[in-house]
Amino acid sequence: MRNLLAFLFLAAPSYAGDPVTANYYAYVAAESDDTVDLIKFGPAGGELVKRIPVGIFPNEIEGPHGIKVAPGGRYWFVSIAHGMPYGRVFKYEAGTDVAVGDTQAGLFPATMDISPTTGFLFVVNFNLHGDHVPSSVSVIDTVSMTEIAQIEQGIMPHGSRVSPDGRFSYSVAMMSDELFEIDAMTLAVSRRLKLTLEDGSGAVKPTWVQPHPTKPLAYVAFNGASQVVEVDLKSWKIGRRFHTNAGPYNLAVTPDGKTLVVTEKSNHSTAFWDLDSGKERKSIRCTNKITHGVTISPDSRFAFVTVEGVGGDPGLVEVYDLQDLERRAVIEVGKQASGIDFWKMEEP
Amino acid sequence: MRTLLLLLTVIQAPTIEITPASLTLEVGESATLRAVIQGSDAQVVFFSGNRMALTVTPSGHVTANRPGTFVVTALLPDKPFDGAWDSYSRRDPGIRTTIEVTVAEPPLESIAIVGFPKQMYAGTTLPIRVLGTDTSGAERTDFTTRFLISNTDTEDAHTAETDGFGNVTALAPGSFTITADADGVSAEHHVNVIPNPTASLTLTASSREARTGDVVRFEASARSSAGERLEKIPITFALSSRPDPNRPESVGAGAPAQIDPLGRFVAEQPGIYTIVAMSGDRIARTSVLVTPRNVAREIEFLGHARVSDRITSDLWVWEGIDGRDYAVHGTWNAEGHAYFYDVTDPTDMKLIDKVQVDARTVNDVKVSEDGRICILSREGASNRRNGFVLLDVSDPHNVEILSTFDDGLTGGVHNVFIHEDHVYAVNNGRRWDVINVEDPRNPFRVSRFETKTPGRSVHDVWVRDGIAYQAGRSDGLIVVDVGGGGMGGSPTSPVEMGKFPQITGWNHAVWPFKSKSAGRSYVIGGDEAFYRNPLKPEAGGILWKEQIPSRAKGWLHFVEFDDMKEPREVARYQLPDSGPHNLWIDWDEEIMYVAHYDAGLRIVDISGELLGDLYRQGREIARFFSTDNEGFLANAPFAWGPQPHKGTIFFTDFNSGLWAIRLVPSDTATDGEE
Repeated sequence: MRNLLAFLFLAAPSYAGDPVTANYYAYVAAESDDTVDLIKFGPAGGELVKRIPVGIFPNEIEGPHGIKVAPGGRYWFVSIAHGMPYGRVFKYEAGTDVAVGDTQAGLFPATMDISPTTGFLFVVNFNLHGDHVPSSVSVIDTVSMTEIAQIEQGIMPHGSRVSPDGRFSYSVAMMSDELFEIDAMTLAVSRRLKLTLEDGSGAVKPTWVQPHPTKPLAYVAFNGASQVVEVDLKSWKIGRRFHTNAGPYNLAVTPDGKTLVVTEKSNHSTAFWDLDSGKERKSIRCTNKITHGVTISPDSRFAFVTVEGVGGDPGLVEVYDLQDLERRAVIEVGKQASGIDFWKMEEP
Repeated sequence: MRTLLLLLTVIQAPTIEITPASLTLEVGESATLRAVIQGSDAQVVFFSGNRMALTVTPSGHVTANRPGTFVVTALLPDKPFDGAWDSYSRRDPGIRTTIEVTVAEPPLESIAIVGFPKQMYAGTTLPIRVLGTDTSGAERTDFTTRFLISNTDTEDAHTAETDGFGNVTALAPGSFTITADADGVSAEHHVNVIPNPTASLTLTASSREARTGDVVRFEASARSSAGERLEKIPITFALSSRPDPNRPESVGAGAPAQIDPLGRFVAEQPGIYTIVAMSGDRIARTSVLVTPRNVAREIEFLGHARVSDRITSDLWVWEGIDGRDYAVHGTWNAEGHAYFYDVTDPTDMKLIDKVQVDARTVNDVKVSEDGRICILSREGASNRRNGFVLLDVSDPHNVEILSTFDDGLTGGVHNVFIHEDHVYAVNNGRRWDVINVEDPRNPFRVSRFETKTPGRSVHDVWVRDGIAYQAGRSDGLIVVDVGGGGMGGSPTSPVEMGKFPQITGWNHAVWPFKSKSAGRSYVIGGDEAFYRNPLKPEAGGILWKEQIPSRAKGWLHFVEFDDMKEPREVARYQLPDSGPHNLWIDWDEEIMYVAHYDAGLRIVDISGELLGDLYRQGREIARFFSTDNEGFLANAPFAWGPQPHKGTIFFTDFNSGLWAIRLVPSDTATDGEE
């Protein structure tokens, strides 16, 4: 495994596509290492820049899961799943990577997103604690780091994403097969949609919802049914269905709105879909097991995908060029790499 | 210039004015805030800086739940995102205005003097206790009370006095009234003072000589002039002390000791201590000579099975069905391994098998009483279904995985115990589940134990003789009948017997101890906490990733549980600059073994009645620093868990694996301190 990674790393700078002209930075949470890792990809390839220990207890793995860089890039936020018993969200200053605040959330806070208009952070309390009971979304004011509301949601909520205009927060309930829309101003559930297969049957286990950057559409990953569905946010109905490999998990749409990137967790692959045609362009096997998160550079050029690994395997970030759909780099990060978010681009 | 001013006017950010500009509410009251935005008709969002104490809806409806001063913010969002990433500056989003809302403390409605007798003997002193009730009906003690004594017989009589700290001394026969005043409400209590019939006092001690840490019981009795024993006469104890002049080595330490109102005396240092019993104008005194405890013994190093490429976690040692001795320990933040050793010869501990499960951390390990079944707790499973794994360890050289149980235990099992064919699994900090493992290939849940405490948090559970002991960071120590408590409990139906609330909020480990020498039952709760390192304040206490040892703090709480309804903390074991992790108590030897993180392994004499600070009483028998210059962190002892077994003390160290040491018999040990 390590030899393979070394080979991939060394091979990274040779391309068939346009040259890489910028350095790209992203923060990655390593759930079983209690670190957030800063990675860089650029003309010289990919590298781990910094490893930032997170959490409070030296002798307990607290599980950083979700990560979100604030609009503007001044801060980043990480959700710490395990607490006593509630998890927390920590705020760090980007670059110096010094913790500047934190607040308590609910049981096992996981994925999260920030409304660019209010700065409110919506974090799902995934509650991975056995009982299938409705959980909540915590709303956190990221300026004062105060939990200002807990909004009841379905069972095991996941995949928190905010609409581009900052007006709505979307998330799915993995074990009750629902899509939720929260009004980011009234902090109340405005709509909920039962998610089903074509024949109306359920058990689709949705794990992610991703609004389109410019259109009133959202994409929902049916982790248990190997589908990604397109939800019309006006009619609040499911439209197109994309049949994927096993275990679609996290999603991202390029800022230009053309490409949907799907991590296929059970198939250990990453798929790239053309949203105009609704056709899969390519699905690429990852270099290790269990693909997890994905973030895309603002220029719509590169997708950064986390791969968890198993046991003592290091986590990985794989960098895909969206021009030719080739893997450009593999970067070792902490164990069980999960949430990832883009930080900044800069000239080399 | 005019153009510039016009431009400034155009781009000036709108301002928000909240009405009312400030607000004071009573608990339970509500009000509505309004926001006026100059230059905009946009909607604002209100929110509370403390939503539990002061509920604020996004539209500005405020409800006061608890007293205090709170901040309410009105936020005017920025314009919707237009898709251009540069449109967001590095300033904080939105425009904000805040106001303070004060929720007044409900005033006291009444106070009462509780538990004070209506009759006192002259020359005795008693404390006064005052309890208040506020207008919300809540009981309160958080107020300052002024006491006034008024003599009710004649103005110039001097029947009683207070010391200003709530103690009343009756001086002479007569009567007086205590008036308690607090925040404008008052209470009165009338007391008659009768002559003190005490003609003589006698004071006896359970021993005239003691060692440091020994509890000496003093009994004072009052007798009348006719020689009759007088019951219920308040007797006060006082103490004077001086170092033993014949022990110049201890003079500098002074002669600290305590005697409690029940007459229990204990000293921390050698010295000569005089106890004085007082009632009325009668006194009696008795002195005690306290000598050093002298329990220190030498340690003999036996063996070390180094683990330096990963972190080592908990261990268990047992006699296998073949009569040989074995040990298993977990590994932490690694690849999900448990290591098995033949430790029959502790000077040559042999690694005989490794088992890997789908996990990053195997935090806890336990072996059944018959030595056949081992449990491993799992954290960091690749499918996030953690639970625990059952192993057949009948042949520890060839360990076999029998089954995995994760139903309802997905979030992570941190600690487990096995007792009479049942596994007690701490379910991710909320409760513990009881799983029947009579058929270890087909385990099934039979019950759960969970309190209703808001924010409850459980860390550890230990079972002995049909009683489960729970350590919880928010619930404290809880004793539960699972078949041996005599309250009808069983593994399928646990019954709570008693609880002692957390004190520090760091409660982590728990161990029961029935002391034969003291005839008492204790439950020991261990803290787990860490110092923030000023060199790396942003790292919290987590520094091992940076090759810097962590520094622990906290102590062990000794709680007497003889009366399940009224357990009380009577003693502690606290090192000045470290904190404990796991512990083990040998009930027969009455010795406590503490894996004390950065302070290594500590071995402590806990014989006899326990009172006060056990460390300062010289009860430490020995200590051993598991220093390894080839450890995961070199030369950084970080003892994790101990277990004595057949005369050998085994323990694991976070940084260096498995160790074996032994206490040298006391008849060959050096005398006195190290």
